[in-house]
Amino acid sequence: MAGIELLSDQGYRLDGRRATELRKVQARMGVFAQADGSAYLEQGNTKALAVVYGPHEVRGPRAKSLHDRAVINCQYSMATFSTAERKRRPHGDRKSSEMSLHLKQTFEAAVLTQLYPRSQIDIYVKILQSDGGNYTACVNAATLAVVDAGIPMRDYVCACTAGFVDDTPLADLCHAEESGGGTSLSLALLPRSGQIALVQMDARIHQDHLDTLMEAAMTACKGVSRVLDGVVRQHLQEVSVLTA
Amino acid sequence: VMIKTEKVLHLRSSRGRKVRVVREHYLRERVPCSSALCQAECQNEGKVLSADLTHYVVPDAGVVCDFLEVLEFRELQGVVFTQTACQAAQQSRGRSRLYNRLRSLLKDPRHDCILFANEFQQYSFCLREKGESQEKWQTRCIYHSAVWYYNHLAGLRPVVMITEDLEAIAEYSSLNSEVYVISTQVEYLRSFCPDLLAAQELYCSISQAMQERESESTEREFADHLPAEVLEAGIKSGRYIQGTLNVNKHRAQHEAFVRFEGSASKNTELNSDILVCGGKHRNRAVQGDVVAVELLPVKEWQGRNTALTEGLGEDKTGDETQSQPMPTGRVVGILQRNWRDYVVTFPPWEEVQSQSRNSQRILVTPWDYRIPKIRISTQRAKDLQDHRVIVRLDSWESTSLYPNGHTVRVLGKAGELETEVQTILVECCIYAPPFSEAQLKEMPVNSEENPWKVDPSEVNARLDLRDTHLVFSIDPLGCEDVDDTLSVQVLPGGKRLQLGVHIADVTHFVQEGSLTDLEARARATTYYLADRRYDMLPAVLSADLCSLLGGVDRYAMSVLWELDAQSLSVCKVWYGRTIIRSTYQLHYELAQALLNGEQVEVPELAQMEQAERDQRLTELRQALELLTRLARHLRAQRDKGGALELEGVEVRAQLDSDRNITALVPKQPLEVHETVAECMIYANHWVARKIQEHFPHQALLRRHPPPRQEFFNRLIDCAKTRGFSIDTRSNKALADSLDQAADPLDPLVNRLLRMMATQAMSNAQYFSTGACPEEQYYHYGLALDRYTHFTSPIRRYADIIVHRLLMSAISAEKESGPNTHLVPNKELEELAQQINSRNRAAQIAQKQSTELFQCLYFKDKDPVTDERCVADAVVYSIRANGMLVFVPRYGLKGAVYLKNRDGHVLSLKRDGSCVWQPGSLQRYPDKISSTTSIGTHTFNVFDHITVRVSVQSSRCHSDSLCLEVIANRPHQTPQAECHPAPRGRSELVQEVVRLAEEASQQANENGRAPKLTREEREFRQSRKPNLYSLLVEIGELALLDLAACEQISAGSQACTASA
Repeated sequence: MAGIELLSDQGYRLDGRRATELRKVQARMGVFAQADGSAYLEQGNTKALAVVYGPHEVRGPRAKSLHDRAVINCQYSMATFSTAERKRRPHGDRKSSEMSLHLKQTFEAAVLTQLYPRSQIDIYVKILQSDGGNYTACVNAATLAVVDAGIPMRDYVCACTAGFVDDTPLADLCHAEESGGGTSLSLALLPRSGQIALVQMDARIHQDHLDTLMEAAMTACKGVSRVLDGVVRQHLQEVSVLTA
Repeated sequence: VMIKTEKVLHLRSSRGRKVRVVREHYLRERVPCSSALCQAECQNEGKVLSADLTHYVVPDAGVVCDFLEVLEFRELQGVVFTQTACQAAQQSRGRSRLYNRLRSLLKDPRHDCILFANEFQQYSFCLREKGESQEKWQTRCIYHSAVWYYNHLAGLRPVVMITEDLEAIAEYSSLNSEVYVISTQVEYLRSFCPDLLAAQELYCSISQAMQERESESTEREFADHLPAEVLEAGIKSGRYIQGTLNVNKHRAQHEAFVRFEGSASKNTELNSDILVCGGKHRNRAVQGDVVAVELLPVKEWQGRNTALTEGLGEDKTGDETQSQPMPTGRVVGILQRNWRDYVVTFPPWEEVQSQSRNSQRILVTPWDYRIPKIRISTQRAKDLQDHRVIVRLDSWESTSLYPNGHTVRVLGKAGELETEVQTILVECCIYAPPFSEAQLKEMPVNSEENPWKVDPSEVNARLDLRDTHLVFSIDPLGCEDVDDTLSVQVLPGGKRLQLGVHIADVTHFVQEGSLTDLEARARATTYYLADRRYDMLPAVLSADLCSLLGGVDRYAMSVLWELDAQSLSVCKVWYGRTIIRSTYQLHYELAQALLNGEQVEVPELAQMEQAERDQRLTELRQALELLTRLARHLRAQRDKGGALELEGVEVRAQLDSDRNITALVPKQPLEVHETVAECMIYANHWVARKIQEHFPHQALLRRHPPPRQEFFNRLIDCAKTRGFSIDTRSNKALADSLDQAADPLDPLVNRLLRMMATQAMSNAQYFSTGACPEEQYYHYGLALDRYTHFTSPIRRYADIIVHRLLMSAISAEKESGPNTHLVPNKELEELAQQINSRNRAAQIAQKQSTELFQCLYFKDKDPVTDERCVADAVVYSIRANGMLVFVPRYGLKGAVYLKNRDGHVLSLKRDGSCVWQPGSLQRYPDKISSTTSIGTHTFNVFDHITVRVSVQSSRCHSDSLCLEVIANRPHQTPQAECHPAPRGRSELVQEVVRLAEEASQQANENGRAPKLTREEREFRQSRKPNLYSLLVEIGELALLDLAACEQISAGSQACTASA
């Protein structure tokens, strides 16, 4: 296995972080006035924009509506300029449909949909710059947007990736680490209850290592949740100052 | 805590387009500095730079990339490698070896150097500016790091940055008074370590090699190697075959073979090696490289050459001697270079001058036949003519016929004993310098004024056998390093027996990870050469505190079996740490005499009263008798399973021919030898069972794979000529049929057959249980399902590992908790491979040093007149133009030619003497006949002939012995009878050493300064090695051929002689 050394003997990763350290997470809520809720989030160099409409009446065929809860509609897309090589990305390709589906499942687990029967909540997410962990950035941004829209949730949904190099779990992988050929596990967590909203991993890993990997991902998620909580509180303060 | 910045990189995408990539880069304030002088309480883990230095050195990226070898000198201390420099080393093209060397350097605790992650430090990191070249940026970064480092240590030590970049010196040298930027490394080396001449020389030779490389021609001599991706894909698809290149030593220019690695199942139709013919097809691959080979079309396949070639003989032999065509291929790429240090000889000065116009580039000839000539640029060719020099290869461009290299170290003048021995060590990659002070500091003290004592807390933790057990050791006379002791007694009640094997507790003194441990791990074994030895552990352990000497308290690891007194089946086994006091330190002859009921003097009892002495003697005799009975039972059990007794006979014969060993042990091996060996095998077996049971995935065992049946073909054919049939279907069948294949008139026949059987065997080797399926654990030679090495921790590192495993198995049993100190399977397997390869190196070194001494012995004898150069020989194999013979008197094996270079063949006159005449040779499977005008004469396998031994000297390589037929009848040595002690091999060694000493003394008088005598005295501080251990070694079939067996005993003899 040729390639770059993902974890140096001194315990540093390519970008200077240690194994358990997250990338810098920055976020803003309420970036658009038109939408019901919106948020912009940077997780390292991965930048995501999330917009929430709803709850509102079900658009399109009536048959889709559910009598006991709200329908969640997610759409994920990437900007043409989001990766190193510019590439046209039409909607509905397989990768983004899968990502949309994952997001939908994640938020169905977190949003209290039974409060809004026969209605619909739309979540649109766009990746502006991609540097690894696209799904997790989307989830985190969408959580903030849902909070901004004032839709009740069980808890924040926080997501983070974790990888495994030389018997050491690495938290929050960047693009270089993700494409390095190792394992990458994405986890969406409801941090307060410790419930898992979604977990996904494509690569192979020895069963013995799975627990440590999950543990690392959960710790990372909790770290993210603290940041998100801070963002929300700060936003509320700003808004209340304005309204007062 | 961290600051986020961004780095912009320009990379090439998979499609070859240039891409701009932005990467995050996090900086922090606290980056450990790894210096003992740190004032800021950095969290330094692992290696730390020592504080008692005059300065610290920070090498620039260019210096690290080009002159890492100079920095590898252990004398250069306090080296701070910056991350920037390491990354430069990592990124330099095709130099992954360089980066790996740097990494192992950083990991090695014996080197005083550390890595400082300067690019992650907030204040020492510099962003690359627009338009700044990479080299400039690296130099700037490293300079800033040096400044930071200096300030971080509060200016306690000056920091010296060394660089090759003259502009940088101009720019930075005046900026800071205590951070020096020094121009060339030569300047640094000259002013700071003037004593390290070797480093300066190495520096010069590297820089010269680099200059030469720049001015190279562009004419293409070889096809280009394919890029790595193509090779990888090709190997996966089966188009190319991956394997290790093995050059035929005797036809180094023409023939090389590639042996598969790993999954041979993919290519089931190819189960032989692949032949690579000629230099063009070999395409710059060097012996040992891992290469990718493409098969040629079937019609271009060739056969291997079966004719004997004489040493350097570069004659164009006809095609008639080729065997069946075999798969033939050509090298398309090299996956991994396995270049090591090579010993070369400089040509004489006249030759250099005629060789090329500019005398700075010369072709030197490696000592190893398999390595091509190496081109070197140096100005010291005149001083170095006829010297042996260590050389490293740098590159081999497709435009050059020969690889480029540079000199590293001068060993000495060719032909001198010390130079030749060092040559052997370097060629076998054995590096065994005297133990360093730091290592010796770890050792416990045992001196007159400060004697070592048993620790009372250890007494509580160990089972105390000092007063309850009669413990004794049986070793060769005068042995000092006693690994093993025995005890046996009837338990109260008389229904049960207790057998105990007590092994020196080396792991108590050698902590895992200590410097001594690391050194021992690197050496892996004690190296025995013909005239000296290199110990694995410092002498204070190997000869004193670990040695289970008589009459003193010692720590031991014991295995105690409770056996049923009648059936001798095992009822209970106990393993653990003990404390013992050996009562008798017996030697083999004494023990055997006691067993035979002879009246003997036991030194330990000499002072006692008659009555008490008799009682003690009876006690000891009973114990020995019991032990013998047990061992016979154990042996019988193993024989039932099919244990082979190939070498026991070998050694017996060995002892016969070596008169000097007969002075030590009787001609016939004593039963007591076998008794001790059997107990040790038993202990090894039970320990192997124990650790395997506890650690099914990470125990170190030893296995001996069954031999491939086709290797036995020669043995079967040979035996057939004498009417014996050999059954090789199982180890039991083989053992039985070998026992029957004895010619009462000629004991040598059986001996040669056993020798061939041994040759057909594969080597026994260490492995980790996790790396091998369970059905392959079997030890073929000993007929045991589990086996390991436990009984000689003083001279084998594998035993130390096994001791540790056994201890963790015992403690895990007690506490039933998971043990954390275990070596994981992967690491253990690597360690096992390393030990295997070191063992192989030790064997080869032994063999070569004995050959060296044989040559030195015969060198000053006149082969025509000296009686000692004529000896009896037995033919054991037939080749196209000659035959292979064995000379029992000197234990030599060699080739005899029946056809010389002029095409003349050997014919016999009426009186039996030989002459060269024109004629022809006819080869049959079991005989060869020469036809000339005189008549036809046939040589059969197992014929006795008379040969003359002479030395064929060689300037660049080792000298070799040359055998020629002088008569076709057995050699009569009338003197042998009247000469009670003809020259044995040890005497030979002794004599050669003495001559060398005289020569060096003479040289001393002439004003030269050889360190020879002092070193000789120092190295030959040796004690007698344990003969039992030799027997066990051989008994385990660890040896490739008889030649190797002989080395051991030769080694032991030499030591005996010098002790």
